[in-house]
Amino acid sequence: MSGGERIPGTPRYRHHLLKNPGTEPFFPNFLLKEWIAGAVFLTGFMLWVVFNPVVLGDKANPDDTSFIPVPDWYFLFLYQILKYYPGSDIVFGTVLVPMIGALLLIFTPWLDTSKERHPYKRPLATLSMVLMTFLTIWLTNEAAVQHKAEVAAASGQASSGLPQVPKKAPSQITLVDTNMPGYTLFEQTCATCHGKKGEGGFGPPIYAISKYWNATQLKHFVENPQGGMPKNGTLTSDAQVQQVVDWLEKQTG
Amino acid sequence: MLKKAYDWIDERLNVTPLWRDVADHDVPAHVNPAVKMSAFVYCFGGLTFLVITTQILSGMFLAMYYTPDITNAWYSVKYITDEVLLGNVVRGMHFWGASLVIIMMFLHMLRVFFTGAYKAPREMNWVVGVLIFFVVLAFGFTGYLLPWDQKAYWATAVGSQIAGSIPLLGPYIQTLLLGSHTVGALTLARFFAIHVFFLPAALLVLLALHFIMIRSQHIAGPL
Repeated sequence: MSGGERIPGTPRYRHHLLKNPGTEPFFPNFLLKEWIAGAVFLTGFMLWVVFNPVVLGDKANPDDTSFIPVPDWYFLFLYQILKYYPGSDIVFGTVLVPMIGALLLIFTPWLDTSKERHPYKRPLATLSMVLMTFLTIWLTNEAAVQHKAEVAAASGQASSGLPQVPKKAPSQITLVDTNMPGYTLFEQTCATCHGKKGEGGFGPPIYAISKYWNATQLKHFVENPQGGMPKNGTLTSDAQVQQVVDWLEKQTG
Repeated sequence: MLKKAYDWIDERLNVTPLWRDVADHDVPAHVNPAVKMSAFVYCFGGLTFLVITTQILSGMFLAMYYTPDITNAWYSVKYITDEVLLGNVVRGMHFWGASLVIIMMFLHMLRVFFTGAYKAPREMNWVVGVLIFFVVLAFGFTGYLLPWDQKAYWATAVGSQIAGSIPLLGPYIQTLLLGSHTVGALTLARFFAIHVFFLPAALLVLLALHFIMIRSQHIAGPL
């Protein structure tokens, strides 16, 4: 065993008397300091966990083929590589490119055999790793951006944050409480985009929106719309918005 | 009293050499952030291990409530999320921890690469490290299905299709993974077994090798 080992019989707490200044025993000195770093790290982690609750999606439904699948973020770079080898070239994306990457990684010590350890003194190795890191990050980001665009395109337009009401033919939709003043307003304004029965058109379907959202959420969305909807849905007063929301609240599909 | 107990055990099992290996060794100055702040990059490996430890613990607690069958899996996760005391926190730790392991491990790998610590005589430890990386990715792949929600189901469906498209071996890999030709009851049971039995066993063995090699080869010297 070379270097770094404690000389047997040396008192533990007089490490500053050793020939190699700055070294300290792993236990307990270094471990206690390491634990402080660990504690700070864990505190940050727990704060993140508490303020970012995990959302459980809808129960798996094998019949719903409209769901746009995406792997977890750390597989996105592999997923993205697949897209560059369509059709019969797919074997490049599924096997060859990832295999070459994995083999390069495993055999790194035998590819870079110079004695030099400083990154500046072995520019080829350093440059390759920097490039690979940037490529991986870029591929991951590219896949995420493309997936987001795909989801937005599937929901008809730019993503709005509105719950997705399934598309349905207007003849199969039954609206309730159509004698309320909100319905008249709906027909005159909202229906231009969302359809006479709320079946969707230029805007998304909303005939059963209250199955997903309550009145407060609806009102908030109408007042602060996203995804191309005009503010207050072109209604002219707060009272009108309230009337429409009151009526929409009854529409549970 | 403590000394007596230690001596009693030491007399019978001779634990002193073991203790010396595990705890009683010097840590060189160039990896000690208390000596030089920039040495914090040497903490990434230890922090990865710390997160792996929290993953094992949170996973053990999740396993107390999780049910690996397709009718109940989603409801059991919902129960953990909504009903169990601190269930959402433990699930959150496991969920976010999975990403954190990957990030910390990647940073650790970059540190080892750029300090050239994988060079002779430490090639084998680099290889073991890369294998740990693959095992952790397998953890991610199998764990992603377990909540049995839409994104879990469809990600696995697509993932297994991709595996199935590999020439020659593809169909065999797909059948091995899914237990059938589509994602279903067998798949969930299989992924659960892989996630909580096979992979932890592989991970613990590889981690042990990783640490034993560090102890016998020591940390690479300063640049």
